[in-house]
Amino acid sequence: MKQSPELHAIQENMRSGSLAGFGFLGSDTRQLIDILEADDALVTQLGTTHGDIARRLQFFYTEGRKGLGQAVEVERRYDVVAEEHKGGIPCPFRDNHTAPKVMVSVTDQKTGQRLSFSALNIHMIQAHGFYEGHGAKFRIEPATVMRILF
Amino acid sequence: MEIVQTVLSISLISSALAVVVVIADRFLNDYGECVIDINGGNRQMTVNGGSTLLSALAANRIFIPSACGGKATCGLCTVQVASDVGPVLPTEEPYLSEEQVNEGVRLSCQIKIKHDLEIHIPEELFNIEQYQARIEKITDLTHDIKEFRFALEEPAELAFKPGQYVQIDSKPYGSVTESVSRAYSISSVPSDKGFVDLIIRLVPNGICTTFMHEHVKEGDTITLRGPFGDFYLRDGADDLVFIAGGSGLAPIKSLVFDILEQGLEKNMTFFFGAVTKKDLYYVELFQDLEKRYPNFRYIPALSNPAPEDAWQGDVGLITDVVAKYVETPVNKQAYLCGSPGMINACINVLTGIGLTEDEVFYDKFT
Repeated sequence: MKQSPELHAIQENMRSGSLAGFGFLGSDTRQLIDILEADDALVTQLGTTHGDIARRLQFFYTEGRKGLGQAVEVERRYDVVAEEHKGGIPCPFRDNHTAPKVMVSVTDQKTGQRLSFSALNIHMIQAHGFYEGHGAKFRIEPATVMRILF
Repeated sequence: MEIVQTVLSISLISSALAVVVVIADRFLNDYGECVIDINGGNRQMTVNGGSTLLSALAANRIFIPSACGGKATCGLCTVQVASDVGPVLPTEEPYLSEEQVNEGVRLSCQIKIKHDLEIHIPEELFNIEQYQARIEKITDLTHDIKEFRFALEEPAELAFKPGQYVQIDSKPYGSVTESVSRAYSISSVPSDKGFVDLIIRLVPNGICTTFMHEHVKEGDTITLRGPFGDFYLRDGADDLVFIAGGSGLAPIKSLVFDILEQGLEKNMTFFFGAVTKKDLYYVELFQDLEKRYPNFRYIPALSNPAPEDAWQGDVGLITDVVAKYVETPVNKQAYLCGSPGMINACINVLTGIGLTEDEVFYDKFT
Protein backbone atom coordinates (compact mmCIF):
# COMPACT_ATOMS: atom_id res chain seq x y z
CA MET A 1 0.00 0.00 0.00
CA LYS A 2 1.22 3.51 -0.74
CA GLN A 3 2.30 5.42 2.32
CA SER A 4 1.42 9.08 2.88
CA PRO A 5 4.25 11.60 3.35
CA GLU A 6 2.96 12.16 6.91
CA LEU A 7 3.28 8.48 7.74
CA HIS A 8 6.68 8.40 6.07
CA ALA A 9 7.85 11.24 8.34
CA ILE A 10 6.48 9.38 11.37
CA GLN A 11 8.33 6.23 10.29
CA GLU A 12 11.56 8.24 10.14
CA ASN A 13 10.79 9.46 13.64
CA MET A 14 10.60 5.83 14.77
CA ARG A 15 14.11 4.94 13.72
CA SER A 16 16.66 4.03 16.34
CA GLY A 17 18.09 6.89 18.27
CA SER A 18 15.53 9.51 17.34
CA LEU A 19 13.17 9.32 20.31
CA ALA A 20 14.16 6.03 21.93
CA GLY A 21 17.55 4.37 21.98
CA PHE A 22 16.51 1.26 20.13
CA GLY A 23 13.70 2.76 18.07
CA PHE A 24 10.25 1.34 17.46
CA LEU A 25 10.77 -0.67 14.30
CA GLY A 26 13.36 -3.29 15.21
CA SER A 27 14.49 -5.26 12.18
CA ASP A 28 11.19 -4.68 10.37
CA THR A 29 11.84 -3.39 6.86
CA ARG A 30 8.19 -2.95 5.91
CA GLN A 31 6.59 0.42 5.45
CA LEU A 32 4.78 1.70 8.54
CA ILE A 33 1.44 1.54 6.72
CA ASP A 34 2.02 -2.17 6.05
CA ILE A 35 2.94 -2.85 9.68
CA LEU A 36 -0.26 -1.12 10.80
CA GLU A 37 -2.39 -2.97 8.23
CA ALA A 38 -0.94 -6.35 9.15
CA ASP A 39 -1.47 -5.87 12.89
CA ASP A 40 -4.96 -4.55 12.25
CA ALA A 41 -5.80 -7.73 10.37
CA LEU A 42 -4.17 -9.86 13.05
CA VAL A 43 -6.19 -8.26 15.83
CA THR A 44 -9.43 -8.69 13.88
CA GLN A 45 -8.51 -12.32 13.26
CA LEU A 46 -8.05 -12.78 17.01
CA GLY A 47 -11.61 -11.55 17.48
CA THR A 48 -10.72 -8.45 19.45
CA THR A 49 -9.98 -4.73 18.96
CA HIS A 50 -7.07 -2.40 19.64
CA GLY A 51 -9.29 -0.69 22.20
CA ASP A 52 -9.94 -3.92 24.10
CA ILE A 53 -6.25 -4.79 24.16
CA ALA A 54 -5.28 -1.29 25.27
CA ARG A 55 -7.92 -1.27 28.00
CA ARG A 56 -6.65 -4.58 29.37
CA LEU A 57 -3.08 -3.31 29.41
CA GLN A 58 -4.25 -0.07 31.04
CA PHE A 59 -6.00 -2.09 33.76
CA PHE A 60 -2.76 -3.88 34.67
CA TYR A 61 -0.83 -0.59 34.44
CA THR A 62 -3.20 1.09 36.89
CA GLU A 63 -3.19 -1.85 39.30
CA GLY A 64 0.57 -2.28 39.07
CA ARG A 65 1.32 1.34 39.89
CA LYS A 66 -0.47 0.96 43.21
CA GLY A 67 2.45 -1.22 44.33
CA LEU A 68 4.99 1.64 44.08
CA GLY A 69 7.48 -0.76 42.52
CA GLN A 70 6.42 -3.84 44.49
CA ALA A 71 4.63 -6.82 42.93
CA VAL A 72 0.86 -6.57 43.27
CA GLU A 73 -1.44 -9.58 42.96
CA VAL A 74 -4.26 -8.96 40.50
CA GLU A 75 -7.33 -11.15 39.95
CA ARG A 76 -5.71 -13.80 42.19
CA ARG A 77 -3.80 -14.90 39.11
CA TYR A 78 -1.23 -12.32 38.09
CA ASP A 79 1.81 -10.71 39.72
CA VAL A 80 2.13 -7.19 38.38
CA VAL A 81 5.12 -4.89 38.82
CA ALA A 82 5.15 -1.33 37.50
CA GLU A 83 8.58 0.24 37.46
CA GLU A 84 8.79 4.00 37.03
CA HIS A 85 11.82 5.74 35.57
CA LYS A 86 12.77 9.37 35.28
CA GLY A 87 11.25 11.37 32.44
CA GLY A 88 8.76 10.84 29.67
CA ILE A 89 8.84 9.70 26.08
CA PRO A 90 6.93 11.44 23.30
CA CYS A 91 4.69 9.40 21.02
CA PRO A 92 6.43 9.00 17.65
CA PHE A 93 3.12 9.67 15.88
CA ARG A 94 3.58 13.34 16.75
CA ASP A 95 0.22 13.62 18.43
CA ASN A 96 1.61 15.69 21.28
CA HIS A 97 1.26 12.82 23.74
CA THR A 98 4.14 12.19 26.12
CA ALA A 99 3.97 8.96 28.11
CA PRO A 100 5.69 8.53 31.47
CA LYS A 101 8.56 6.06 31.42
CA VAL A 102 6.77 3.24 33.19
CA MET A 103 7.46 -0.43 32.46
CA VAL A 104 4.86 -2.96 33.54
CA SER A 105 5.57 -6.65 33.90
CA VAL A 106 2.66 -9.11 34.27
CA THR A 107 3.37 -12.72 35.26
CA ASP A 108 0.75 -15.45 35.22
CA GLN A 109 1.24 -17.29 38.53
CA LYS A 110 -0.04 -20.57 37.12
CA THR A 111 1.92 -20.79 33.89
CA GLY A 112 4.84 -18.48 34.64
CA GLN A 113 4.25 -16.71 31.32
CA ARG A 114 5.23 -13.07 31.41
CA LEU A 115 4.35 -10.00 29.35
CA SER A 116 6.12 -6.65 29.64
CA PHE A 117 4.89 -3.40 28.17
CA SER A 118 5.33 0.34 28.60
CA ALA A 119 2.91 3.19 29.15
CA LEU A 120 3.73 4.31 25.63
CA ASN A 121 2.76 0.88 24.25
CA ILE A 122 -0.71 1.33 25.70
CA HIS A 123 -1.11 4.73 24.12
CA MET A 124 0.23 3.67 20.72
CA ILE A 125 -2.11 0.67 20.62
CA GLN A 126 -5.12 2.68 21.78
CA ALA A 127 -4.58 5.72 19.59
CA HIS A 128 -2.80 4.29 16.56
CA GLY A 129 -3.16 0.50 16.54
CA PHE A 130 0.64 0.30 16.61
CA TYR A 131 2.37 -2.60 18.35
CA GLU A 132 5.90 -1.72 17.09
CA GLY A 133 7.83 -3.48 14.33
CA HIS A 134 9.03 -7.06 14.37
CA GLY A 135 12.24 -7.40 16.35
CA ALA A 136 11.64 -4.11 18.21
CA LYS A 137 12.63 -4.30 21.86
CA PHE A 138 9.13 -3.41 23.07
CA ARG A 139 7.07 -5.07 20.34
CA ILE A 140 3.77 -6.34 21.78
CA GLU A 141 2.40 -9.42 20.04
CA PRO A 142 -1.41 -9.20 20.05
CA ALA A 143 -1.65 -12.99 20.24
CA THR A 144 0.60 -13.01 23.33
CA VAL A 145 -1.60 -10.42 25.02
CA MET A 146 -4.65 -12.54 24.30
CA ARG A 147 -2.98 -15.72 25.53
CA ILE A 148 -1.63 -14.30 28.79
CA LEU A 149 -3.93 -11.50 29.83
CA PHE A 150 -7.42 -12.54 28.70
CA MET B 1 31.56 7.99 -23.71
CA GLU B 2 27.96 9.08 -23.99
CA ILE B 3 27.26 7.74 -20.48
CA VAL B 4 30.20 9.69 -19.04
CA GLN B 5 28.99 12.89 -20.71
CA THR B 6 25.49 12.36 -19.34
CA VAL B 7 26.78 11.76 -15.82
CA LEU B 8 29.02 14.82 -16.07
CA SER B 9 26.14 16.97 -17.33
CA ILE B 10 23.85 15.87 -14.52
CA SER B 11 26.60 16.47 -11.95
CA LEU B 12 27.25 19.96 -13.30
CA ILE B 13 23.57 20.87 -13.33
CA SER B 14 23.17 19.50 -9.76
CA SER B 15 26.19 21.46 -8.56
CA ALA B 16 24.91 24.64 -10.20
CA LEU B 17 21.49 24.18 -8.57
CA ALA B 18 23.10 23.56 -5.18
CA VAL B 19 25.08 26.80 -5.51
CA VAL B 20 21.89 28.69 -6.43
CA VAL B 21 20.09 27.23 -3.40
CA VAL B 22 22.95 28.17 -1.05
CA ILE B 23 23.10 31.72 -2.43
CA ALA B 24 19.30 32.09 -2.31
CA ASP B 25 19.23 30.79 1.25
CA ARG B 26 21.86 33.31 2.25
CA PHE B 27 19.93 36.25 0.84
CA LEU B 28 16.32 35.19 1.34
CA ASN B 29 16.80 33.95 4.92
CA ASP B 30 19.22 36.66 5.91
CA TYR B 31 17.58 38.39 8.84
CA GLY B 32 20.76 40.28 9.59
CA GLU B 33 21.83 41.14 13.09
CA CYS B 34 19.09 41.09 15.71
CA VAL B 35 19.20 42.39 19.26
CA ILE B 36 17.81 40.28 22.10
CA ASP B 37 16.87 42.34 25.12
CA ILE B 38 16.62 40.30 28.33
CA ASN B 39 14.67 41.36 31.41
CA GLY B 40 14.08 44.97 30.45
CA GLY B 41 17.59 45.91 29.47
CA ASN B 42 19.34 43.84 32.17
CA ARG B 43 21.26 42.21 29.35
CA GLN B 44 21.41 42.72 25.64
CA MET B 45 23.05 40.64 22.97
CA THR B 46 23.41 40.88 19.24
CA VAL B 47 22.92 37.66 17.31
CA ASN B 48 22.63 36.66 13.68
CA GLY B 49 18.97 36.14 12.80
CA GLY B 50 17.74 32.80 11.53
CA SER B 51 18.66 30.61 14.48
CA THR B 52 16.31 29.53 17.26
CA LEU B 53 16.07 31.58 20.40
CA LEU B 54 17.24 28.58 22.46
CA SER B 55 20.42 28.08 20.44
CA ALA B 56 21.15 31.83 20.17
CA LEU B 57 20.92 32.20 23.95
CA ALA B 58 23.11 29.10 24.48
CA ALA B 59 25.69 30.52 22.07
CA ASN B 60 25.80 33.54 24.38
CA ARG B 61 26.16 31.29 27.43
CA ILE B 62 22.61 31.68 28.66
CA PHE B 63 21.40 28.13 29.11
CA ILE B 64 17.64 27.64 29.22
CA PRO B 65 16.73 24.20 30.64
CA SER B 66 16.04 21.74 27.82
CA ALA B 67 16.00 17.97 27.92
CA CYS B 68 15.25 17.19 24.27
CA GLY B 69 17.84 19.27 22.50
CA GLY B 70 15.33 21.57 20.82
CA LYS B 71 12.85 19.05 19.40
CA ALA B 72 9.84 20.41 21.29
CA THR B 73 9.36 17.15 23.13
CA CYS B 74 10.22 18.15 26.70
CA GLY B 75 8.51 21.52 27.12
CA LEU B 76 11.19 22.78 29.52
CA CYS B 77 12.70 25.65 27.50
CA THR B 78 10.01 28.22 28.23
CA VAL B 79 10.73 31.96 28.12
CA GLN B 80 8.40 34.93 28.23
CA VAL B 81 8.48 36.80 24.93
CA ALA B 82 7.24 40.39 24.96
CA SER B 83 7.74 40.94 21.22
CA ASP B 84 5.41 39.67 18.51
CA VAL B 85 6.77 36.36 17.23
CA GLY B 86 3.58 35.07 15.68
CA PRO B 87 0.99 32.64 17.02
CA VAL B 88 1.76 29.65 19.24
CA LEU B 89 2.82 26.73 17.06
CA PRO B 90 1.09 23.33 17.19
CA THR B 91 4.38 21.90 18.46
CA GLU B 92 4.23 24.25 21.47
CA GLU B 93 0.56 23.88 22.37
CA PRO B 94 0.80 20.69 24.46
CA TYR B 95 3.34 22.26 26.79
CA LEU B 96 1.73 25.64 27.43
CA SER B 97 -1.25 26.36 29.66
CA GLU B 98 -3.80 28.97 28.65
CA GLU B 99 -2.40 31.26 31.33
CA GLN B 100 1.13 30.87 29.96
CA VAL B 101 -0.02 31.60 26.42
CA ASN B 102 -1.76 34.75 27.65
CA GLU B 103 1.47 35.82 29.38
CA GLY B 104 3.48 35.35 26.19
CA VAL B 105 5.32 32.25 27.38
CA ARG B 106 6.78 30.27 24.48
CA LEU B 107 9.13 27.36 23.86
CA SER B 108 12.42 28.99 22.99
CA CYS B 109 13.41 26.07 20.76
CA GLN B 110 10.47 26.87 18.49
CA ILE B 111 11.07 30.63 18.15
CA LYS B 112 13.10 31.56 15.08
CA ILE B 113 14.82 34.91 15.45
CA LYS B 114 13.80 37.18 12.56
CA HIS B 115 13.95 40.61 14.23
CA ASP B 116 14.83 42.26 17.54
CA LEU B 117 13.27 40.51 20.51
CA GLU B 118 12.43 41.42 24.08
CA ILE B 119 12.27 38.46 26.46
CA HIS B 120 12.06 37.75 30.17
CA ILE B 121 13.74 34.84 31.96
CA PRO B 122 14.33 34.00 35.64
CA GLU B 123 17.42 35.82 36.92
CA GLU B 124 18.94 32.58 38.25
CA LEU B 125 19.41 31.34 34.70
CA PHE B 126 22.24 33.85 34.37
CA ASN B 127 24.19 31.69 36.84
CA ILE B 128 24.02 28.56 34.72
CA GLU B 129 27.25 27.58 33.05
CA GLN B 130 28.37 24.91 30.64
CA TYR B 131 31.18 22.66 31.85
CA GLN B 132 33.57 20.19 30.33
CA ALA B 133 34.02 17.37 32.82
CA ARG B 134 36.14 14.24 32.82
CA ILE B 135 34.68 11.03 34.20
CA GLU B 136 37.01 10.25 37.06
CA LYS B 137 35.31 7.18 38.44
CA ILE B 138 32.35 4.91 37.66
CA THR B 139 30.94 2.83 40.52
CA ASP B 140 28.30 0.10 40.30
CA LEU B 141 25.84 0.79 43.12
CA THR B 142 23.19 -1.82 42.23
CA HIS B 143 22.39 -4.05 39.26
CA ASP B 144 20.98 -1.04 37.39
CA ILE B 145 22.34 2.05 39.15
CA LYS B 146 25.80 3.55 38.70
CA GLU B 147 27.48 6.55 40.26
CA PHE B 148 29.63 8.80 38.08
CA ARG B 149 32.25 11.08 39.56
CA PHE B 150 33.10 13.98 37.28
CA ALA B 151 36.20 16.13 37.61
CA LEU B 152 35.32 19.59 36.30
CA GLU B 153 37.86 20.85 33.79
CA GLU B 154 36.49 24.07 32.33
CA PRO B 155 35.19 25.94 34.31
CA ALA B 156 36.83 24.20 37.25
CA GLU B 157 34.12 24.79 39.88
CA LEU B 158 30.34 24.60 39.99
CA ALA B 159 28.44 26.48 42.70
CA PHE B 160 25.13 24.79 43.49
CA LYS B 161 22.62 24.25 46.25
CA PRO B 162 22.28 20.67 47.52
CA GLY B 163 19.23 19.15 45.81
CA GLN B 164 19.79 20.83 42.45
CA TYR B 165 20.52 19.04 39.18
CA VAL B 166 22.66 19.32 36.08
CA GLN B 167 22.01 18.33 32.50
CA ILE B 168 24.42 16.13 30.63
CA ASP B 169 24.72 15.73 26.88
CA SER B 170 24.98 12.24 25.44
CA LYS B 171 26.97 11.60 22.29
CA PRO B 172 25.96 9.52 19.26
CA TYR B 173 26.56 5.78 19.71
CA GLY B 174 25.54 2.67 17.80
CA SER B 175 22.39 3.46 15.86
CA VAL B 176 21.77 6.59 17.95
CA THR B 177 22.79 9.43 15.68
CA GLU B 178 21.91 12.46 17.79
CA SER B 179 22.97 13.95 21.07
CA VAL B 180 20.31 14.42 23.76
CA SER B 181 20.34 16.28 27.08
CA ARG B 182 19.00 14.73 30.26
CA ALA B 183 18.75 15.97 33.83
CA TYR B 184 20.36 14.21 36.81
CA SER B 185 20.48 15.31 40.44
CA ILE B 186 23.84 16.01 42.02
CA SER B 187 24.67 13.59 44.85
CA SER B 188 27.88 15.26 46.04
CA VAL B 189 28.15 18.33 48.27
CA PRO B 190 29.12 21.88 47.23
CA SER B 191 32.25 21.73 49.39
CA ASP B 192 33.59 18.93 47.20
CA LYS B 193 34.91 21.63 44.91
CA GLY B 194 35.97 20.67 41.43
CA PHE B 195 33.86 17.51 41.42
CA VAL B 196 30.26 16.56 40.72
CA ASP B 197 28.78 13.13 41.46
CA LEU B 198 25.67 11.86 39.67
CA ILE B 199 23.66 8.70 40.38
CA ILE B 200 22.08 7.33 37.20
CA ARG B 201 19.68 4.44 36.90
CA LEU B 202 19.52 2.55 33.60
CA VAL B 203 16.20 3.14 31.84
CA PRO B 204 15.33 0.35 29.39
CA ASN B 205 15.60 1.80 25.89
CA GLY B 206 16.66 5.18 27.29
CA ILE B 207 19.04 7.06 25.02
CA CYS B 208 21.07 8.91 27.64
CA THR B 209 21.09 6.34 30.44
CA THR B 210 22.15 3.62 27.97
CA PHE B 211 24.90 5.95 26.80
CA MET B 212 26.09 6.53 30.34
CA HIS B 213 25.82 2.89 31.43
CA GLU B 214 27.20 1.19 28.33
CA HIS B 215 29.13 3.67 26.20
CA VAL B 216 31.29 5.79 28.50
CA LYS B 217 34.40 4.90 30.44
CA GLU B 218 36.62 6.55 33.01
CA GLY B 219 38.65 9.30 31.39
CA ASP B 220 35.98 10.29 28.88
CA THR B 221 34.93 13.94 28.68
CA ILE B 222 31.28 14.94 28.97
CA THR B 223 29.45 18.28 28.67
CA LEU B 224 27.39 19.35 31.70
CA ARG B 225 25.17 22.37 32.27
CA GLY B 226 23.79 23.68 35.50
CA PRO B 227 22.86 24.10 38.24
CA PHE B 228 19.10 23.89 37.72
CA GLY B 229 16.10 23.31 39.96
CA ASP B 230 14.27 24.57 43.01
CA PHE B 231 14.54 21.41 45.13
CA TYR B 232 16.74 22.63 47.97
CA LEU B 233 16.62 23.20 51.72
CA ARG B 234 14.19 25.85 52.97
CA ASP B 235 14.21 27.68 56.27
CA GLY B 236 11.53 27.19 58.82
CA ALA B 237 11.61 23.72 60.40
CA ASP B 238 13.96 21.78 62.66
CA ASP B 239 12.71 18.26 61.92
CA LEU B 240 13.35 17.10 58.38
CA VAL B 241 11.88 14.00 56.79
CA PHE B 242 13.64 12.72 53.68
CA ILE B 243 12.02 10.07 51.50
CA ALA B 244 13.58 8.55 48.40
CA GLY B 245 13.58 5.52 46.16
CA GLY B 246 15.93 4.35 43.41
CA SER B 247 18.20 7.08 42.04
CA GLY B 248 16.13 9.59 44.05
CA LEU B 249 18.72 9.04 46.77
CA ALA B 250 21.08 11.42 44.92
CA PRO B 251 19.75 14.85 45.98
CA ILE B 252 18.89 13.56 49.48
CA LYS B 253 22.49 12.41 49.97
CA SER B 254 23.68 15.87 48.97
CA LEU B 255 21.22 17.56 51.34
CA VAL B 256 21.97 15.30 54.33
CA PHE B 257 25.74 15.53 54.00
CA ASP B 258 25.64 19.29 53.51
CA ILE B 259 23.43 19.81 56.57
CA LEU B 260 25.78 17.71 58.70
CA GLU B 261 28.82 19.44 57.28
CA GLN B 262 27.32 22.87 57.98
CA GLY B 263 26.45 21.82 61.51
CA LEU B 264 22.85 22.95 61.10
CA GLU B 265 20.67 22.07 64.08
CA LYS B 266 18.26 19.81 62.28
CA ASN B 267 16.87 16.43 63.22
CA MET B 268 16.78 14.27 60.12
CA THR B 269 15.07 10.99 59.29
CA PHE B 270 15.85 9.43 55.94
CA PHE B 271 13.44 6.79 54.60
CA PHE B 272 14.71 4.84 51.62
CA GLY B 273 12.33 2.45 49.89
CA ALA B 274 13.36 -0.52 47.77
CA VAL B 275 11.85 -3.83 46.73
CA THR B 276 14.59 -6.28 47.66
CA LYS B 277 18.05 -6.05 49.17
CA LYS B 278 19.67 -5.95 45.74
CA ASP B 279 17.96 -2.58 45.16
CA LEU B 280 19.55 -1.03 48.25
CA TYR B 281 22.81 0.90 48.12
CA TYR B 282 24.88 3.16 50.36
CA VAL B 283 23.47 1.29 53.35
CA GLU B 284 26.78 1.22 55.23
CA LEU B 285 27.38 4.89 54.44
CA PHE B 286 24.11 6.01 56.02
CA GLN B 287 24.35 3.52 58.88
CA ASP B 288 27.75 4.96 59.67
CA LEU B 289 26.29 8.49 59.66
CA GLU B 290 23.60 7.31 62.05
CA LYS B 291 26.27 6.11 64.50
CA ARG B 292 28.26 9.31 64.28
CA TYR B 293 25.40 11.85 64.36
CA PRO B 294 22.60 11.52 66.95
CA ASN B 295 20.44 13.92 64.92
CA PHE B 296 20.39 11.61 61.88
CA ARG B 297 18.26 8.48 61.56
CA TYR B 298 18.28 6.12 58.59
CA ILE B 299 15.34 3.82 57.87
CA PRO B 300 15.70 1.62 54.80
CA ALA B 301 12.59 -0.42 54.02
CA LEU B 302 12.00 -3.30 51.66
CA SER B 303 8.58 -3.83 50.20
CA ASN B 304 9.15 -7.42 49.13
CA PRO B 305 12.38 -8.86 50.54
CA ALA B 306 13.60 -12.11 49.08
CA PRO B 307 14.02 -15.06 51.49
CA GLU B 308 17.78 -15.02 50.88
CA ASP B 309 17.88 -11.34 51.92
CA ALA B 310 17.41 -12.37 55.56
CA TRP B 311 16.12 -8.84 56.04
CA GLN B 312 15.81 -7.66 59.64
CA GLY B 313 14.66 -4.11 58.89
CA ASP B 314 11.29 -2.59 58.12
CA VAL B 315 9.09 -4.32 55.58
CA GLY B 316 6.26 -2.73 53.60
CA LEU B 317 5.47 0.04 51.17
CA ILE B 318 7.45 3.16 51.97
CA THR B 319 4.17 4.98 52.65
CA ASP B 320 3.32 2.51 55.43
CA VAL B 321 6.79 2.80 56.93
CA VAL B 322 6.64 6.61 56.89
CA ALA B 323 3.21 6.52 58.52
CA LYS B 324 4.60 4.21 61.22
CA TYR B 325 7.43 6.56 62.23
CA VAL B 326 6.25 10.11 61.48
CA GLU B 327 3.70 10.91 64.14
CA THR B 328 3.43 14.67 64.39
CA PRO B 329 3.59 17.46 61.82
CA VAL B 330 4.95 19.98 64.31
CA ASN B 331 8.06 21.84 63.16
CA LYS B 332 8.52 19.49 60.19
CA GLN B 333 9.39 19.69 56.53
CA ALA B 334 9.56 16.78 54.11
CA TYR B 335 11.80 16.39 51.07
CA LEU B 336 10.87 13.69 48.57
CA CYS B 337 12.60 12.38 45.44
CA GLY B 338 11.44 9.43 43.40
CA SER B 339 8.78 8.26 40.98
CA PRO B 340 5.58 10.29 40.64
CA GLY B 341 3.60 7.38 42.08
CA MET B 342 5.77 7.19 45.17
CA ILE B 343 5.75 10.95 45.67
CA ASN B 344 1.99 11.29 45.28
CA ALA B 345 1.41 8.44 47.73
CA CYS B 346 3.85 9.95 50.23
CA ILE B 347 2.29 13.41 49.94
CA ASN B 348 -1.06 11.83 50.84
CA VAL B 349 0.46 10.19 53.90
CA LEU B 350 2.27 13.34 55.01
CA THR B 351 -0.72 15.63 54.56
CA GLY B 352 -2.79 12.99 56.35
CA ILE B 353 -0.41 13.30 59.32
CA GLY B 354 -0.94 17.06 59.24
CA LEU B 355 1.86 18.58 57.17
CA THR B 356 0.64 21.28 54.85
CA GLU B 357 1.49 21.07 51.14
CA ASP B 358 3.91 23.99 51.45
CA GLU B 359 5.91 21.98 53.99
CA VAL B 360 6.44 19.16 51.49
CA PHE B 361 9.07 19.64 48.75
CA TYR B 362 9.65 17.15 46.01
CA ASP B 363 11.58 16.35 42.89
CA LYS B 364 9.43 14.11 40.75
CA PHE B 365 10.95 11.91 38.07
CA THR B 366 9.10 13.79 35.36
